[in-house]
Amino acid sequence: MTAPAATPHKAFSLARVYAIAANTLLELVRLKVFYFLLLFALLGIGVSFFTSKMTFQEQSQVLKHAALGMMSIFTWLLAVLATAMLLPKDIEERTLYTILAKPVPRLEYLLGKLAGVLALLAIALAVMVAMFALVLYAQQQSALAAVASQLAPGPDLEAARQQVRADTFTANLVPGIALIYVKAAVCAAVTLLLSTFASSSIFTIIVSVMVFIIGHVQPIAREYLMITEKGASELARFFLGLVALLIPDMRAFTLLDDLAVAIPFELFMQTAGLGVLYVAVYFLVGYLVFAGKEL
Amino acid sequence: MATPAISIQNLTKLYPIPFKREKVTAVKDLSLTVEPGQVYGLLGPNGSGKSTTMKIVLGLVSPSSGRTEIFGRDSTTVESREDVGFLPENPYFYKFLTGAETMAFFGKLCGLSGARLRERTKELLALVGLENAADRRLGGYSKGMLQRIGLAQAMVQEPRLLVLDEPTAGVDPAGSREIRDLILDFKKRGITVLLCSHLLGQVQEICDRIGILHQGVLVREGRLGDLISIENQTELILENATPELLAEIQAAVGRSNGRVVEQRQPQTTLERYFLEVTGSPERVIGDR
Repeated sequence: MTAPAATPHKAFSLARVYAIAANTLLELVRLKVFYFLLLFALLGIGVSFFTSKMTFQEQSQVLKHAALGMMSIFTWLLAVLATAMLLPKDIEERTLYTILAKPVPRLEYLLGKLAGVLALLAIALAVMVAMFALVLYAQQQSALAAVASQLAPGPDLEAARQQVRADTFTANLVPGIALIYVKAAVCAAVTLLLSTFASSSIFTIIVSVMVFIIGHVQPIAREYLMITEKGASELARFFLGLVALLIPDMRAFTLLDDLAVAIPFELFMQTAGLGVLYVAVYFLVGYLVFAGKEL
Repeated sequence: MATPAISIQNLTKLYPIPFKREKVTAVKDLSLTVEPGQVYGLLGPNGSGKSTTMKIVLGLVSPSSGRTEIFGRDSTTVESREDVGFLPENPYFYKFLTGAETMAFFGKLCGLSGARLRERTKELLALVGLENAADRRLGGYSKGMLQRIGLAQAMVQEPRLLVLDEPTAGVDPAGSREIRDLILDFKKRGITVLLCSHLLGQVQEICDRIGILHQGVLVREGRLGDLISIENQTELILENATPELLAEIQAAVGRSNGRVVEQRQPQTTLERYFLEVTGSPERVIGDR
């Protein structure tokens, strides 16, 4: 038997966080959660068939809207469902005891779990983006071939080609996709927070879905409040203010309506920064609950 | 005097009852010490407070009052767990991991990496007899194999203290024997063991000292031999004794103030008989 080989204990170790995150990612991958990507591919093919009789511009617009919408829904579903099962499963199967009986602080455990889910979301989104880019590229090539067959070589053909290229990969796609990821990360952090005190995965999923819905309707309620500011009671204003503070405006992360217009960089950074702030706050509150939890 | 492996002083744990002001007492004013190198058996019926005591020692649950220490370090601190290996009752490790991946995961949590981790994984899998199942997922492991991988992961950072909760629960006699032999092997290596088990026969075989908990209170505690020996009786086991010799002994006893309480042929244990019949090897796994 060899002599003790472990390195001295560190109060915080990125290596331990990485070990837990990698294990969480492996768990989710081996649970075959990526099968849902096949559904994404099928829906993509379906949209292509549906738009085959449209002009290239229309086709491109519909595909972008559909693809980004599906990406948003799939990453959200993945974030909620994958995160909701992690903690209750570890508690129920007592793996949590074995992990926390090692020199692992609870902060590292929770951070590792969240990092694992975020890595899964990044991989899933990257695969969806790759599929989407491939379909978009195929459409572009087909449109370029059509333009070449319709116009004689010259400035008109070149202008038409440039128009096709400009219509395909617009710069707004990048911040749009980035915000889809931030939104999914916020949903994962909310779900992780809920799972630190929830007694079951079902409860966590239901409440997380409710948070998502409230996050989408709260801007409407805010608009209503602004219109009827004089008529609204103090209590209603307080309640809406509280909701606005606790739950982020989920619609702010959706740029589907703005694909045709350039998104100001500042707005993008503000929205992304707000998302990161919400992830950090939800995580910290979740940690505080988990730190005091009797196992 | 050496620092105790476990020191529990005036430990009390109360659990609140939801929607009520009352609290349930799980452990009441418990004090005990486990010396280094001892195998200590914590016994008691279900609900007696054994698991709560263990969880407090491991820092999974915080005490309502009192103090617990592991080798002099407050057991509520994360650092104290550097010296502890834990095998929970009915462990369900990650079923999606193989035996080797499980060892690597727990090793990384203890600060091991690279060649040292690979070496330690190989060594421990061989120690618990799972080297041929290293690449199989835990989902396909038997109960006994799960207990053995549990013991291996508990040993990964070479702790000075092992906390074992029902280590042979649900394991067949041969597997149970192997785990018992492993615990004895750990004892030989100087590792302290805190053992919770309902299998009193096994506890009697391997424990140096025991504590009996009942309704959260330590009702008996001490060296096993002292607690269970019958002070005014002596056992004499003879081999190839003739009837004449037995008669002489009976007569000699009659002449003194003593009394022969019982005369019978000693019996082997059912476990030993079962292992003989089923041909299970009787050996210390660590000696392979």
